[in-house]
Amino acid sequence: MSGEPVLELDDVGVVFRSGRRHTVTAMAGVTFRIAAGETLGLVGESGSGKTTTGAVALGLRRPTSGTVRFLGAQHGGRRTRAGAIQAVLQNPHWSLNPRLTVADSVAEPLSAVEGGRLRTHHPAALRILDRVGLSASYAERLPHELSGGQRQRVAIARALITHPKFIVFDEAVSALDVSVQAQILNLVHDLQSEQGFGALFISHDLAAVRYLAHRVAVMRAGQIVELADAHRFYITPQHPYSRQLLETL
Amino acid sequence: MRAAAVRVRRALAMRSYDGLFRAAVWVLGVLLLVTLAGPFVGVGGQPDAIVGPRLMPPGAGWPLGTDNLGRSLLPRLLQGIGTTLLLSCLAVACTALISTALGVIAGYRGGRTAEVILRIGDVLYSFPAIVLAVLVAAVLGPGRTAALAAIVLVTVPLMTRMVGTAARAVARREFVTAARISGVRAPTIMLRHILPNVAGTVAVQGTYALSVGILVEGGLSFLGYGVQLPDASLGLLIQEGGLYMVGAPWLIVAPGVVLVAAIMAINLVGDSLRDRFEPRETRSLV
Repeated sequence: MSGEPVLELDDVGVVFRSGRRHTVTAMAGVTFRIAAGETLGLVGESGSGKTTTGAVALGLRRPTSGTVRFLGAQHGGRRTRAGAIQAVLQNPHWSLNPRLTVADSVAEPLSAVEGGRLRTHHPAALRILDRVGLSASYAERLPHELSGGQRQRVAIARALITHPKFIVFDEAVSALDVSVQAQILNLVHDLQSEQGFGALFISHDLAAVRYLAHRVAVMRAGQIVELADAHRFYITPQHPYSRQLLETL
Repeated sequence: MRAAAVRVRRALAMRSYDGLFRAAVWVLGVLLLVTLAGPFVGVGGQPDAIVGPRLMPPGAGWPLGTDNLGRSLLPRLLQGIGTTLLLSCLAVACTALISTALGVIAGYRGGRTAEVILRIGDVLYSFPAIVLAVLVAAVLGPGRTAALAAIVLVTVPLMTRMVGTAARAVARREFVTAARISGVRAPTIMLRHILPNVAGTVAVQGTYALSVGILVEGGLSFLGYGVQLPDASLGLLIQEGGLYMVGAPWLIVAPGVVLVAAIMAINLVGDSLRDRFEPRETRSLV
């Protein structure tokens, strides 16, 4: 579990400018590291900076201050780490292009890394689809022919096809109903022990986080108020805000 | 590819459209057919042949009457429809190309790029269409080129804005973010993810631009800045007919009716396409 760190955030701050003078601090002094094979759960209420943290970790947003290192190097151009970082995003309805077949959607990240047409990567797409529990009969379907859970499986297959070192799950199961949630969480758990990727699991759902996370970070107003091992966190939360969150569970 | 074939087949299945749409498609089909086939079959004779006395009401040798030079109106009308449709279609094809490219770039890039593109469009859009068209004709000199350029310049701003808005909505979707994270290049994202998802808007706006294009061509030719004699276009025929409106009303009625029918049919097709692609809004006609 305590492998090499894949992602390190060091004293990261993000300030949005809104209007001429007004500024909003979305992240302040955020420091954490995620090792290979480890899942860090990031919890907090909406507006606490979780999603901004995810965007910074993915390299979508440049931090105003502090440093972000991926595999020991600072974030460079997005192309340089194509395929090494992936994401499974919130809304299963819009996580897939409605005009691309399942096989094309899944093949896309691989074609971005290795070049070539989407079709040439279909065999690899079929293999990974099988791994997430979707048979070859789904390959030529369009997203609107799938259920929410199936779409999220496709999104996971898409993220895994490049064998990434690090995956961000941003509210990846929040829109699914509970029994489907459990299936997807199980799937992510199994895949992680197979492939050993580091993961940032962003969610407002403490129960889902408990199932996957090795460590838990609690965010509030852009700051991490508590960062602890998961088993310790769920038994004896230190910060009053953490206790408040756990009570609502 | 199979999915694309299914979509095309679904779009072509006439049964799924309503009666108004089918009627509109028939009108356009007939207009297209007579203008394409007219010159070969020789319907009504040669457009420039003098067939009888001047300003005769419809009769045996001249089904729609004759004009001030004794030419039969029918072949001139067919020639005019052809000129107008060809010119407008060509112009709208240019508009669609320019607007789609600009709109998709503005929608995907956002920020300053979008601001510049859309503001330039706003400036053009703030001119009344016919004023802008006359300005273009004055700069380029009257003729087909001026009419073509005028239609493009009049229709580009609105279409760019509509495509840009649609592209912006698509660019915010999570599959675009996911593609960016996976390292897919920006041109690929625009072609593979944005463009297919705004194709409906392009089709709808294209039909509206076509009806605006026909009107602009008609207006310019009517004012003498568009298609020049001895060629014919709908606008030019209406202008000629206007001179003899009291004595020979058929000269203005025939091209006028065709113009109105063509524009209504095109708008109805546009409405039906919009109902299909953006089902929440209501029809603009009927």
